Amino acid sequence: MIKQPNVILGNDELLVTMGKKGDIIGFFYPRRDHAQHVEESLACIHTGERLLWTNDNEWNGIQNYVEDTNIVSTKLYHDSGIRISILDLVHPDVPVLIRRFKIQSQKKLSGKFFYYSNFNVGETSKKNSGFCDIDTHLLVQYWQNYHIGIYSQPEFTEWQIGKAMDTIWWTNSKYDMEDGKLQRNKEDIGNINNAAGWDLDLEADGANEFVILIGAASSRRLLYKRMQELSKLPLEYIFEKTREHWVMWLSRKQVIKIPGLEEYDNLRQELFNAYNRALLMLYLLNDREYGSFVAAPEFDSNFEKCGGYGFCWNRDAAEIVLALKHSGYPEYCDMFFKWCIQTQLSDGSWFQRYWLNGDIAPSWGNFEYSTQIDETGSTLYAMDVYYRILEGLKKAEFLEEVWVSVLRAAEYLMKRTKSGIHESCMDLWETYYGIFTYTNASIYAGLMGASHLAEENGEAGMARRWKKRAEFIKQATIDRFWLQEGYFAKGVINEKLDKTIDASILGTYVPFGMLSPKDPIEKDMIQFMIDNIQKKLSVPVNRGYGIKRYENDSYINGNPWIVTTLWLSEAMFAFALDLPYEKASFAPTLSTHENSYEKEENPEEEVKTLTNEGIKCLKWALAGATSTGLLPEQVDQSTGNPAWAIPLGWSGSLILNNILLLDKICRRKAGNSE
Amino acid sequence: MVRDLFTFAGFNENSQIVWFKIIYSKEPGSLSLITDFLEKKNAFIMFGHLDNITQKTGEYSVFTELNKDVDPEDFALKIKELEVVNEVEYGISEYGMVYSVDFPLNVIGVRGVMARALTIVDIIKTLNQSAPHAEGLLTISGLKGGTHAAKYFKSILDLNDSNFANMLAELFKGVGWGILEIECDPRTYEGRIIVKDSFIADVYGESDQPVCAFMSGYFAGYLTEYFGKNISVREVSCKATGKEFCEHIISPAPSGGTSQEYQLRGEMR
Repeated sequence: MIKQPNVILGNDELLVTMGKKGDIIGFFYPRRDHAQHVEESLACIHTGERLLWTNDNEWNGIQNYVEDTNIVSTKLYHDSGIRISILDLVHPDVPVLIRRFKIQSQKKLSGKFFYYSNFNVGETSKKNSGFCDIDTHLLVQYWQNYHIGIYSQPEFTEWQIGKAMDTIWWTNSKYDMEDGKLQRNKEDIGNINNAAGWDLDLEADGANEFVILIGAASSRRLLYKRMQELSKLPLEYIFEKTREHWVMWLSRKQVIKIPGLEEYDNLRQELFNAYNRALLMLYLLNDREYGSFVAAPEFDSNFEKCGGYGFCWNRDAAEIVLALKHSGYPEYCDMFFKWCIQTQLSDGSWFQRYWLNGDIAPSWGNFEYSTQIDETGSTLYAMDVYYRILEGLKKAEFLEEVWVSVLRAAEYLMKRTKSGIHESCMDLWETYYGIFTYTNASIYAGLMGASHLAEENGEAGMARRWKKRAEFIKQATIDRFWLQEGYFAKGVINEKLDKTIDASILGTYVPFGMLSPKDPIEKDMIQFMIDNIQKKLSVPVNRGYGIKRYENDSYINGNPWIVTTLWLSEAMFAFALDLPYEKASFAPTLSTHENSYEKEENPEEEVKTLTNEGIKCLKWALAGATSTGLLPEQVDQSTGNPAWAIPLGWSGSLILNNILLLDKICRRKAGNSE
Repeated sequence: MVRDLFTFAGFNENSQIVWFKIIYSKEPGSLSLITDFLEKKNAFIMFGHLDNITQKTGEYSVFTELNKDVDPEDFALKIKELEVVNEVEYGISEYGMVYSVDFPLNVIGVRGVMARALTIVDIIKTLNQSAPHAEGLLTISGLKGGTHAAKYFKSILDLNDSNFANMLAELFKGVGWGILEIECDPRTYEGRIIVKDSFIADVYGESDQPVCAFMSGYFAGYLTEYFGKNISVREVSCKATGKEFCEHIISPAPSGGTSQEYQLRGEMR
């Protein structure tokens, strides 16, 4: 069953995803993509009469992060007057989730507090083994070298290890809680679950606290040691240490000011929050050992309704590391490009997607015709962007490190673009085979980047050759795909020009810069694209408009996407910044295009309009976030709720880019361009 | 259990199936007045259902077969003109296949549905073929249904040692799941249930393994809820494996944790 999280938390080794009511959905250790050890893990209360599961509809909940941290607060209210306050944090140094449950009741309550878990240790329900060590009060489940343990303060007084799905149903821990007492079976094997129990006796308006530690380790000994050491530390100390860890990490960020947004109520504060949240979220999607990122924490591992998201795509990761670099965290570029060097295929390209350790992931792009050439283009482009901001010795070292990889990738792109447009492959949305505007733009940017790096490396001949091809691609793309309607066609599908408008054509401007506003004709082309995308792909929801990927999109109901909406606003902000700031001028005539028009423009007015329109997109995106501020991939067009992959790294990188660009615009306007 | 539901055996082009829901005053002979009127007007009564709503009024739902040329609205008005009748509603079953006056159906206190046995067996079969732990999954699913049935019976009557088995058997027969012969000692919680014409085994087709885990779970849920003690029910013989009928053995579930023989799939299984 697919369950989407509302919040995520973790440290370098552990990633935890949770539902709105504090139920654990995913528990990834030691990597963000593998292994996911939890099927279900949550608390429930036995009132003396019946079980109240904390994820049940009977509870109302409020969930948010403790400001500027990945510490989570969940408050649950039950009609019967029971209130549960959950504080969740992951210790910054060890893979242990610490859950503090504070339970209050308006009425006298004499029952039990249970913590139930159905672990699939090693991401399998098979051949698991579980036991309760009553001397140390540790519940442990393991498979091979994965060990997951539960410890509590106060110590649990009853427990059950039982079969999760079996004909001997009465051993099932989930069932066992229903009569308010556990059978205390100490060990079992197979597909098993467990429960720990405590007496819960509350006077009217009384309260009680239970702290539960859920830890992971590579051996039983290490698990015991971790839990023992942590149990000695006061929760307040761990909380403070964890809070400090996140606040310190955030303190390195590029400072933003965004002055002059007074007319937009609370927008400035919302943007500060969104900026911090995106950074904190991206930290959790990154693999610290390998430098790769999951696109989103996996939530459909059986690929029931999609191809899954718990893998690293070069396309997404290249966007993410550049956004992090612009936000003050350049080390992610370093690590990611090292990973790219390791994962490059023998033909010089990059695969559709990878496991975070660099192994190729399950793919529907195993052949030349089904690969996604844009991922190679994006990677090369990102390498060059990063190189350009480096200085001194670091610059030379980076070039030395990536040069062979650049050479191989560029030659791969040369091989696949002999006619000026790329050979047939799969598009960035991983749906169509053909030739695409977006892919051509990414190849253009990749070859231009490679050309620059070649020049820097003293390879003038190569630089010329690659640049020449890039320019050829640009011209061929414009000649073949630009439509008189004022936008690029999606591409060629089934050997026919597909005139569907697709938001990804924005890639010709942002990020790939194939079109430049410095060129008067191209400037108008950009403007036309922005207008047409806004006009044709807007979907009304949440008192605003989100942008869907393309006309007739049917993936997950054809919802509007955060990615495409923020892509449009990024283009608007970038365009506003590219316009001449002080002096008004006249836009030139687009005489080479049938749909050309002559337009008198006031750049200041244009900047204002673009900025305001961009802000509308930004506000729309923020309205589609979870209650905890995480940006999803999509927004449900009927409910306005966050939809599908949550959180999506690509959405996070785009919000960072947007906020940084808006900050620049606002500062420029305020006459403060520091 | 199932109110005002009609399944038709055939379809006559010259007639129409019309139901009337008649609220009438409960006076001596008032119901006869209504049925006499229907008969006199050549409305062939196919099915009737009486519901004593209050002390003073009653509800009579009747399915009739009328000639095609009879206007049901006009007919309903004529019924309403009878002195003992307060209100009349009517409806037409256009295709004469299956029709219910009230929607949705109600089965032991909650919403019910009708389905072909094969529809359910197809789900069971798909689980058996594709899902890990299918037998456990079906047992647990059945357990919930059986628990509900016992809870419902306890809420409407005094469920006791003399009737708990008969109630279950009546339910199974009523919903078409099978004919039960139950022997169960309430003191030892031991016994067996013979299921003749189990709807699962009947339509499942040949199988090497017993296929009625869902039913075992249902029995276990029912008995556990009734006795207030965990009861194990396992199918030891199944019609789908070529036996004459299905047999489920009842025993108290081991207490104090899982014993080794269960973990290692020993004799108990």
